[in-house]
Amino acid sequence: MGARIRHGPVSKDETTKAPGLVPFVTARPDGRRLGERMLLGIDVGGTHTDAVLVGRDGIVAMAKIRTNQDNLLASVKDALESIVSVAGPEGITRLNLSTTLSTNAIVEGATEPVGVFVSAGPGIDPELYRVGDHYFTAPGCIDHRGAETAPLDEAAVARGIEACREAGVGVFAAVSKFSTRNPVHENRIKELVHARAEYVAMGHEFSGRLGFSRRINTAYYNSAVWRLFNRFADAVQKSVFSLGLRPQIGVLKADGGTMPLSASRLSPVQSILSGPAASVMGIIAICDIREDAVILDIGGTTTDMAVFAESSPLIEREGIAISGRPTLVRALRVKSIGVGGDSAIRVTPQGVTVGPRRLGPSMAFGGGHPTLVDALNVQNVIAFGDVAASYRGMAALAEGTGHDPETLADFAIASAVNRIREEVAGFVREINDRPVYTISEMLEGRRIAPAKVYVMGGPALALSGLLQDAFSQEVVVPENFAVANAVGAALARPTFSVELFADTARGGMVIPSLGVHREVGPDYDLPQAEAEASGKLREYLRFIKAGDQEAPVETVERSSFNMVEDATFTGRNIRVVCQVRPGVLPQYREAVTCPC
Amino acid sequence: MSVLKAARELGIVFFPAFDWAISPTHPERQERLLYTQDQLREEGVFDIPGIDEYKPDVAGMSDVDRVHFCFPDTEGVASPSHLVSAGGAIRAGRLVMEKKAARAFAMVRPPGHHAMKCVHGARGFCNINIEAVMIERLREQYGPLRVAVVDTDCHHGDGTQDVYWHDPDTLFISLHQDGRTLYPGTGFAHELGGPGALGTTVNVPLPPGTSDEGFLYVAEHLIRPLLDEFKPDLVVNSAGQDNHFSDPITDMAFSAQGYAKLTDIVGADIAVLEGGYAIQGALPYVNLGIVLAMAGLDYSHVREPGFDPERVRQGNMITEYVKRLCEDVRKLAKNPPRQQRGGEMVGEWFVRRKTLYYDTDHITEYQTESLLVCPDCPGVLKIESESSRTPLCLGVQIPIRACPRCHAEGIRAYEQGQLKGKYRVIRLIDRKDRQYLRYMG
Repeated sequence: MGARIRHGPVSKDETTKAPGLVPFVTARPDGRRLGERMLLGIDVGGTHTDAVLVGRDGIVAMAKIRTNQDNLLASVKDALESIVSVAGPEGITRLNLSTTLSTNAIVEGATEPVGVFVSAGPGIDPELYRVGDHYFTAPGCIDHRGAETAPLDEAAVARGIEACREAGVGVFAAVSKFSTRNPVHENRIKELVHARAEYVAMGHEFSGRLGFSRRINTAYYNSAVWRLFNRFADAVQKSVFSLGLRPQIGVLKADGGTMPLSASRLSPVQSILSGPAASVMGIIAICDIREDAVILDIGGTTTDMAVFAESSPLIEREGIAISGRPTLVRALRVKSIGVGGDSAIRVTPQGVTVGPRRLGPSMAFGGGHPTLVDALNVQNVIAFGDVAASYRGMAALAEGTGHDPETLADFAIASAVNRIREEVAGFVREINDRPVYTISEMLEGRRIAPAKVYVMGGPALALSGLLQDAFSQEVVVPENFAVANAVGAALARPTFSVELFADTARGGMVIPSLGVHREVGPDYDLPQAEAEASGKLREYLRFIKAGDQEAPVETVERSSFNMVEDATFTGRNIRVVCQVRPGVLPQYREAVTCPC
Repeated sequence: MSVLKAARELGIVFFPAFDWAISPTHPERQERLLYTQDQLREEGVFDIPGIDEYKPDVAGMSDVDRVHFCFPDTEGVASPSHLVSAGGAIRAGRLVMEKKAARAFAMVRPPGHHAMKCVHGARGFCNINIEAVMIERLREQYGPLRVAVVDTDCHHGDGTQDVYWHDPDTLFISLHQDGRTLYPGTGFAHELGGPGALGTTVNVPLPPGTSDEGFLYVAEHLIRPLLDEFKPDLVVNSAGQDNHFSDPITDMAFSAQGYAKLTDIVGADIAVLEGGYAIQGALPYVNLGIVLAMAGLDYSHVREPGFDPERVRQGNMITEYVKRLCEDVRKLAKNPPRQQRGGEMVGEWFVRRKTLYYDTDHITEYQTESLLVCPDCPGVLKIESESSRTPLCLGVQIPIRACPRCHAEGIRAYEQGQLKGKYRVIRLIDRKDRQYLRYMG
């Protein structure tokens, strides 16, 4: 079973910002087997960069370093060097990287200007989907069947191109409504801008799913971080090579899966918001989760919750939002609530509340307002930082309320725990109440009933007893959650989704995310479509060197509608979605699993 | 950040029943709402803050038995698809009553407005009246509500009219293609309600070829004033879309823009999809227009591809006709003639005999309906009904506001019916005591 993991001189509290924290590296004292294939996972987070090297028998090496927010590449290099220095470059066959590079750039507005060309036709005014400073709408319309009902106004596109030239814009995005049925307008826009463009993202390449504004946002963000990400990728590859490493390099995505570095260069938007997914995948591996479960990550500002059901974590149906804009980027379904270790405690006429505001660090760490961590200090559940400061802060808050500081702390902790429990219940209800569209799903649809609640994060251990009282399910705090994120990154496997759309009356089949399209005859039917979709997906996985065991393909949607006009059958409208769900590499799962 | 935000919270219950059809090539088939779903998802309607999607409830047999007399039994007519469709309407109703949304739209199938008080089978693609099932469920839960149903489907909502014919607390207004030119052949201006509910049924039979101008004229000059006078607690719109210029089985010339404006003027709290079979060229755009209008968003860019207003414009004759029609209907609704047509007084009972044809199931029904005309309450209702499938049955309904005499009379009629021994099935709907009974003879 998993090797015992030694921890270096660092507390498990991820909200700790104590000065004097030294980076540390550990390695297994006994040598590892010759020729062993090891997986390296690096998670560059907001505060720390964590790295873990996993072998067949257990974790071989670990590193934890302060993240250099101004130079993420330096953090990656440091982590690589730390691991290689104790474990050598041989045998590291895979490196998976999760970074906040793209996320930070987008959230901070540090992205490159993008020339966005949109053709929509009637419906909701495309002006309302304006994004960036160089947004041009051109008349032109594709309908829901993929028929062109108004040609693209190339003169309008040309005017936009000229404006971009004057503004020195070098990267572009081309998006049309229903391009996933027929990409002809996006293709044409790309042709027209090509001469001026260093890079053009086309909406239909990102997903076969519908959602015009999501497609616009996805293409825009992709182009906006393309150059930044590619420079980073170049530098990472150089560092890796220079250290004597020759691994397959993968980039972690928000759905807990990976994509090869080569694919990420064309689709860097898929690397956003991968952090929470890394932790979830890590917990799944460490705790060997197999039944319905809820996974909570109690951080400094928020508690994030995810759900595990039917052997994988639940995916967000439509796609994740970033900077308030929805996209088509697949992600785990995560709900975030404003209760965390640093959440400010308030006394209101309705009672004591915790969060959602964070007014600085805990008083135990130099802050000016009592937080949940301070309350835990006052109640003697933990002893983090300057406990006396926590007490002083709580006493000041308690003044005039008629309660003593311990009681107030007790109320605050109870409030936080209750809030978490209610939100988890609400989350599960939401999931079970999600819309379905067939009668059989209405009457027979599977409901999720979590058997356990796994909790990680700084205050997790401290709150575990109270959480257990609050939840009817068993609450588990894995011992090794501090490394969950890097373990998750190391063990993540490739994911991909293909959406196939065929219309035998129009005689065409398209798989937008693979760029596949061909003519089909009137005999084309659902079984053929399903075989083709899963076949093409498998081909793609082979192309990126993901074997069948690592990346099992499943069909998640299959429908064929008879199209009828004047009571006569005219053709089939076929939709198939095949995917590889996120999961952890089975051969290495045992290496990290610990009794939880 | 998104500048698009619903001015009014809208809940959409979307249930396309992708695995159900009346028959594979029937207009009511799996494909019907497919392109509408594609359009709404591509337009990103469910991403707009303030617009949320919900799953339907599943109506129970008890919800159906609260409204209908199903002969010989409820199970035979209310299949899971109908219970889910009615459940969609119920969920929409609940969202509004529970204040989770300001408005709600149930885009569900199959439709319901041709299903009458007595149900022997499927009629006009409808088995149970999904709006009535919703309304009566809400009344059961929330107490007596004044409700207005505005049926803008191209076909006369004869089922809903029948259900509420004797109910003075429900205003039923139907806008439709003139019955002389289209199924079901009814819905004339003189159909104004039973003796205890005169003027609470209003019919506006429009000539074929009426387009946006005509519909909107009626909405502004007739429907809006009627609603303002009636002061309902809830307005329900039976939003059938077969009045579209491209609909294959009708002859009107309404457009998506027009329907959005109509939705605005009528201002319904709850909209429920009814008919509409131009599933590629109309439904995706009309439904988008309705959704944006209900959410208080700009719908001015909603248009069918290739829409040419000139080609569907109504002629002057229609414009004049519609104006005169509105005046006439207004007068009739204000002062309905006391003398009832199509029935006679037998003692204190008003008796009507009806023959009804169920086109979808090929059944003919013969009905004798008797209402105890009461000065103090809407009165007790008795219906004797037999069909080509089912021997003579009896239904007795005691309304919510029944006076003690009518209540007792209703109970007596139910018990007497059992003693007479001539009915195969007897059903009692006692809204006052909330008891719903069935007796098998």
